[in-house]
Amino acid sequence: MVFSSLTFLFYFLPIVLLIYYVVPFRFKNGVLLAASLFFYGWGEPKYLLVMAVAITSGYFFGLLIGRFRTHRCGRYLLALSVACFLFLLGFFKYTDFLIRNLNQLTGWSLPLLHIALPVGISFYTFQLLSYTIDVYRGDTKAQSDFLSFAAYAAMFPQLIAGPIIRYTDVSGQLKKRTHSLERTSLGCRRFVLGLAKKVLLADVLGEFCQIHLASHDLSVLFYWLYAAANMLQIYFDFSGYSDMAIGLGLLFGFDFPENFRYPFCAKSITDFWRRWHITLGKWFRDYVYIPMGGNRVSKMAWLRNLLVVWFLTGLWHGASWNFVLWGCLFGLILPLEKCFLRKFLDHCRILNHVYVLLIVSLSFVLFQSADLSEAYTHFRCMFGAGKLPMVSAEFWYYLRNYAMLLILAVIGATPLPSRLMHQIRCTKKGEAILNLAEPVVLLLLFLLATAYLVDGTFHPFLYFRF
Amino acid sequence: MNSRLKNVIVTCSMALLLFLLSLSCYLKKADDYSFAERRELSSLPQLTLDTVLSGTFMKEFETYAADQFPLRDSFRSLKSTVSLKVLGELDSHQLYLEDGYLVKMEYPRKEEMIQASVDHFRSLYDTYLSGKEMQIYFAAVPDKNYYLASEHGALSMDYEQLFSDLENQLPFAQHIDLTGVLTIDDYYRTDSHWRQERLTDMAAFLLETMGVSQTADYTLHHLEEPFYGVYSGQLGLSVEPDTLSYLTSPVLDACTVISYASGGPEDAKLYDLEKASGKDPYDLFLSGAQPLLVIENPLADTDRELILFRDSFGSSLAPLLAEGYARITIVDTRYVSARLLGELISFGDQDVLFLYSTTMLNSGISFRW
Repeated sequence: MVFSSLTFLFYFLPIVLLIYYVVPFRFKNGVLLAASLFFYGWGEPKYLLVMAVAITSGYFFGLLIGRFRTHRCGRYLLALSVACFLFLLGFFKYTDFLIRNLNQLTGWSLPLLHIALPVGISFYTFQLLSYTIDVYRGDTKAQSDFLSFAAYAAMFPQLIAGPIIRYTDVSGQLKKRTHSLERTSLGCRRFVLGLAKKVLLADVLGEFCQIHLASHDLSVLFYWLYAAANMLQIYFDFSGYSDMAIGLGLLFGFDFPENFRYPFCAKSITDFWRRWHITLGKWFRDYVYIPMGGNRVSKMAWLRNLLVVWFLTGLWHGASWNFVLWGCLFGLILPLEKCFLRKFLDHCRILNHVYVLLIVSLSFVLFQSADLSEAYTHFRCMFGAGKLPMVSAEFWYYLRNYAMLLILAVIGATPLPSRLMHQIRCTKKGEAILNLAEPVVLLLLFLLATAYLVDGTFHPFLYFRF
Repeated sequence: MNSRLKNVIVTCSMALLLFLLSLSCYLKKADDYSFAERRELSSLPQLTLDTVLSGTFMKEFETYAADQFPLRDSFRSLKSTVSLKVLGELDSHQLYLEDGYLVKMEYPRKEEMIQASVDHFRSLYDTYLSGKEMQIYFAAVPDKNYYLASEHGALSMDYEQLFSDLENQLPFAQHIDLTGVLTIDDYYRTDSHWRQERLTDMAAFLLETMGVSQTADYTLHHLEEPFYGVYSGQLGLSVEPDTLSYLTSPVLDACTVISYASGGPEDAKLYDLEKASGKDPYDLFLSGAQPLLVIENPLADTDRELILFRDSFGSSLAPLLAEGYARITIVDTRYVSARLLGELISFGDQDVLFLYSTTMLNSGISFRW
């Protein structure tokens, strides 16, 4: 089940909210867990067992590691837990990728296992990994209440697409959390805005991307338009989903960390990654990069650390070489930027944005390609080596067709609307107008998103495959 | 308004909307058919252990939830209005509104689909028509996009190329160009089809080209019920409905129609007024989809016969051609296997007309071979 579906919005969510708010606090985690299992089982009934095994293992590993963390066996238990979770992720996500590459390298013909990827496995295994590591480090105590722990690990608002919530982020709220009118209102607002981003922007941009991929009337500028739309689609898709997750978190009394902060306004790629999928970046920083020595090592070791982290980041996104290459691309750009480009970029206010947008749009073309050869074709065509005309009839048509949407998406990807709201809110009259307008706008957006969902069938969620 | 009041309003209004719509979803009686979209709607899937474990229940439930959503047509209308009128999109689901006409953007040209039709026509020729003393004609009916694409700025196929390709690939038939005798006014505003009452000149042109003379004196009849064509429901925009009209004449009144829809011959009608108030009012003409029909014209001053291979455009045109022939055999090989035609029709010295719309040719007609 995805948040941007009629089933979730009108069959699942109202019932869960009703039960959740009616039951006394001591039952709320139980309700949340039951709802999460139903939510997960709706899409992947056969993989409920996989998740249940992972959560139960995480619970017992946490208890054991907490008990023996000062002993030598604590380290072994941690290593075992990390190995178990990585094996789980590796088996379901990378086995066929490994076999395919082994076959290519050696000429063997090992049969593929065709293992379907359980939805959200990349997210919940990373959460479980961070939990056992945090317990070992003494950053948090092991949770002894299985229900609370399972409610955390399986919590449906963030289960399948993040943000990656660490146990330390919500451990206090699992025991005690407040539900207030203000937080509920804020949650509603955040959820509706996320839904609108996903359904009204990302899905429509996605339609355009599909049209481009199926087009027989391609041109150089059509490819560039695709690159721009693709970049915006990925952003609104993922950030919209994160907004919905954060909004739902607030409705259920949790504060989830932010996952995006206007990434396309970044002044460098380093800055971009501080604004894009923030929880994943922090996860790799705290559990891979810093334990390897971070930047407090020799230059060569630092370069190695960066490459390892970005190789893993790429691989985390998918079992395909284009993801690996995508990650490694950033592993190369970031040190280059830090060593050479940074000084230059700091002095060119417009050029640095152009540089970021160019790198990011190209990287997302690679990211979205089915394989390396498709990415290669895209790049050739974008840079005029595809023997294509500069413009085509379809380019002009779809430029006109999606012009308003693209303009709205570009503005929506910047802090301009937020700054405007802030400025209006500075005056008393302005604040009163905004307070009056907000419920109306939210209702309209919700109705409009519902209308788009009722009308269309094109609502894929890009991060589902991760 | 202060922030606290705003929070109360946001929370209460969102909750109210969510729970009202949710309650409607749970309580609404499922509809079987959507008249606006002209299709069967999904029903609640069967809940069994197998369907749950295989995930088919959940998958089908998603379709059911969308199909049976309360106020579905109003929500679809809202979406179309916003995308076309607010966001300035040029089409919605490949449909656009231009000059009061709802038009399907017939684009791109689907080579495989067109080739499949051409192969079918060739096969019919090779099996039944080749070597006989028959005059064979082919006419492609341009869709509305042919007339309005450039005005709207919509994408369109290269129609001239398509007609030329069809001419080259069907060398056994004389091609009749209809583009010069038709205008956009000859089509319904809300439907894909042409209007029979506007086709008299075109029918005369066709008959003349096929060497048949006719002097028809028609009486025009209008149906009172407004006609909302297939596109009005698909787009979901509020547009002025069409009026469904049909032509009669003393000759047509004398004609008899035999249908072979159920295997054997049965009496049928040129104009089926009952169907005009059914799911698709265009079925008024020759009762809609029919595999094989024969129109006998006892008042004909000729013994010439016509075999009309056609799609739905032929339904409203065929009565006008009946004026010039003693007998018209109307064949729709989407509903009757081409292999059976030899048993049902005695192919001899009839005239033969292949009449197909570009929409059908380009959308992949599933002919029965």
